[in-house]
Amino acid sequence: MLQIFQKTNIDFMKYKYLAFALSGTIILAGLANIIFGKGLKPGVDFSGGTLIRILLKSPLPVADVRQALNEQGLGNSVIQEVDKGQQEYIIRTAGLKRDEIQAEQDLEAHEIIGNRIVETLKSAEDKASAEQGLIDFNNAGVKEITAVLQPAYPDEAASLAERIINFRVEKGILEDFGMLREAGISDEVISVLKDRTFLGSLTVLSRETVGPQVGKDLRRKATQATIWALVGMLVYIAARFKLAYGVSAILTLTHDVLVTLSVFSFTQREINLPVIAAVLTIVGFSINDTIVVFDRVRDNIKMMRKSPFEDILNASINQTLSRSVITSGTVFLTVIALYLFGGEVINDFAFTMLVGVISGAYSTIYQSCPIVYFWQKIFGTGRRVRR
Amino acid sequence: MKKGLRWKLILTLGIVGLALFLAYPPGKKINRGLDLRGGIHLVLQVITEDAINIDTDEEINRLRDQFQKKNLTSTSIVKGRIGQITIPGTIPDQEGAVRDLLDENFRNWDYVFVGATATLTMKSEVQMYLRDQAVNQALETIRNRVDQLGVAEPTIQRQGLSGDRIILELPGVDNPERVKNLIKTTAVLEWKLVKAGPAADEQALLTSFGGTVPEDAQVVKGDPKRTSGGFYLVERVATVTGKDLRVVRRATDEWNSPAVSFSLNPEGGRRFERVTGENIGKQIAILLDDKVISSPTVEDVIPATSGGIIRGRFTIDEAEDLVVLLRAGALPAGIKYLEERTIGPSLGADSIRKGLSAGIAAVLLVMAFMVIYYRLAGVNAVTALILNMVLLFGALAYFRAALTLPGIAGIILTIGMAVDANVLIFERIREELLTGKSILNSISTGFSRAFTAIFDSNLTTIISAIFLFQFGTGPVKGYAITLIIGIAASMFTAVFVSRLMFDLTVAGKKRKDKMSI
Repeated sequence: MLQIFQKTNIDFMKYKYLAFALSGTIILAGLANIIFGKGLKPGVDFSGGTLIRILLKSPLPVADVRQALNEQGLGNSVIQEVDKGQQEYIIRTAGLKRDEIQAEQDLEAHEIIGNRIVETLKSAEDKASAEQGLIDFNNAGVKEITAVLQPAYPDEAASLAERIINFRVEKGILEDFGMLREAGISDEVISVLKDRTFLGSLTVLSRETVGPQVGKDLRRKATQATIWALVGMLVYIAARFKLAYGVSAILTLTHDVLVTLSVFSFTQREINLPVIAAVLTIVGFSINDTIVVFDRVRDNIKMMRKSPFEDILNASINQTLSRSVITSGTVFLTVIALYLFGGEVINDFAFTMLVGVISGAYSTIYQSCPIVYFWQKIFGTGRRVRR
Repeated sequence: MKKGLRWKLILTLGIVGLALFLAYPPGKKINRGLDLRGGIHLVLQVITEDAINIDTDEEINRLRDQFQKKNLTSTSIVKGRIGQITIPGTIPDQEGAVRDLLDENFRNWDYVFVGATATLTMKSEVQMYLRDQAVNQALETIRNRVDQLGVAEPTIQRQGLSGDRIILELPGVDNPERVKNLIKTTAVLEWKLVKAGPAADEQALLTSFGGTVPEDAQVVKGDPKRTSGGFYLVERVATVTGKDLRVVRRATDEWNSPAVSFSLNPEGGRRFERVTGENIGKQIAILLDDKVISSPTVEDVIPATSGGIIRGRFTIDEAEDLVVLLRAGALPAGIKYLEERTIGPSLGADSIRKGLSAGIAAVLLVMAFMVIYYRLAGVNAVTALILNMVLLFGALAYFRAALTLPGIAGIILTIGMAVDANVLIFERIREELLTGKSILNSISTGFSRAFTAIFDSNLTTIISAIFLFQFGTGPVKGYAITLIIGIAASMFTAVFVSRLMFDLTVAGKKRKDKMSI
């Protein structure tokens, strides 16, 4: 039988003060940074604004992108490069000052700035071609391409157009009409396309604009959801176990949430909806460990009547240790897979989970049990706590 | 085989078969969310004050009528704050008569007299009703417009039961700008006789009227895109409106430029015939949302049944859009966008690819670990995991829940979390085996003693996922759903099915002293 741990007998409780100090330091430093330092960086979902994700036909260094935007007075936009190929960028419009624009018009103002950013990054040839009445192939839909092919291919225009657009969707953007040969499009069709369309220099992959009202709403809802989830845990654990365990569970979870927020304030990653989803998942997941240990404690209290409470806690942690490590391990493996292969859109989520899984595994052992211990010591009836 | 086992086996195969039937082929049966298929997500707010203002205006007109009929005098009847009308300067000995009038004919209003001023306030339940109606009508109108556009599988719903927000999800739209404008347009179309104009500014417009706007007229602007701009003085009362239209089509005018042709219902047609007959040689302005889009001169009487065309320097698309708007009807109140998310199809395709590769990597990693660590029992867990995925997809298909990118993340996470139940059980069985219990005994105590921990821990995960669902918007909701279904399914596969597999293998074996775990 393959085992990570032989029968262990580690005195985890011995390190409780050290653990408190470590967690306390991280959380206090994090809170200090949040309140007095850099703070948390809310993403578009919570602060409002426009986020545009563009794909360029040919590579353009980030410095050039910045300069182009600077020239148009859009220099305070946040530019983030997605791939190493210098072809994909995420651009966020800078927050508009309240006195600049009425709250009512915020959304439209962001939209206008968004449009300007897209227009700025389009090349001069694009504009010239568009003025000649050519259609931008890289931004056209099936309907437009069908119309282009209709005169030459009256019968098969629609099906051809669908094949062509599907291919372009797959590729994101075409650099050369010749690429269409890969999709089995004949040279004759390609020459018709060349005559009546042009390959635009960029395509907008996604664009999100969140108005200030929605941002505010989401902020409120996210905080509420997190707090109610914690309260839900407290009630459930207190009902299934005892109040001491419920209190300990909720403090442990708060610990995990705070550690995660601290990491976000230090790394200055943006907080968006998926991050909140991850935080709530951590709340739900981290408590699994805690419950498993408490479940053991519940068993062991009956079996080890003579032992001091601290020993019962230690024994319980040791008995469930391999399970805790394995489960955290499998979840960690899946989260790592998400983090590495899941792509940019889901990356923040995966990162949050990564932090949370580590924090959750640690806090079960070093926070939840010591907290129960102290609670029993202070408020306990003395029956369970034997000194 | 024992009878109990047989029934459990049949039940399991039945459920798995059903899930397979529901989810196969996944490409067709599983609904993809907007973030994976591309499309527009819009949150808009109906400016419900508009509805109250419109109603207040109508009530003011009614009040004026009634005052006249009953020979009551008042200097003016004006709109106050939202949902308020003030009648300053009521002669004191009229107060009784005014009270009678209000009691009798204006039951939707509360009123107070302070000195010579009467203040009417719309009752709050009436206000609520009007607001609610406005949102429902807006919902209906938007639905009509989207239907006219031919968007496949749109979602249009009110956010909450009594809110003023509407959520729209339109998959696979090529031109988001156009759709956004189309939905936002109020689209009140009116034909009004022109008294003067167009003029460059208001002063020039009003010179022949002594510089003041006559009681029965109003000043409107020309839409700079459709006309040469400038100001028009038009009659306050419209000859016909969009409500009188019967058939609306895209057409071309005599110079072959895009235009919109219309015909009128009998009543509107008669009015149109009378007014055009009386005003030959004069201009009649066509207004869309209080802006003049064209102001043709009446050359001849237009018979009730003939209808006409609307010109306005349209492009083909613009003419088509106007047709959509006129067919779907006007919005009862203004609309404001609060949130807009447009996702192109390429990004969605890319997300699916990456989500899939992350998912496959996660599955392989977890499965490899389980088999290496728990050997045959690991194979058991892996089988349970595969069944879990099958059930998850079956449930997604059954509930028509949309699979979103965070939803894919939820599935991947479920892979890591679902084996937890197996791990808990296997570790318990190992412990029991170490104490020297028999295999059968170890399996049964392992399962029963691990169960409380499994139940409690899964339930808490579900509790937090429910809060997430409550809070979430589209993609996050999709995540919460996959997590809830995945965890619930794992309770069945990891506890019930896994136990069944143990029982089946152990029952079939002759030597019962060795177990691969």
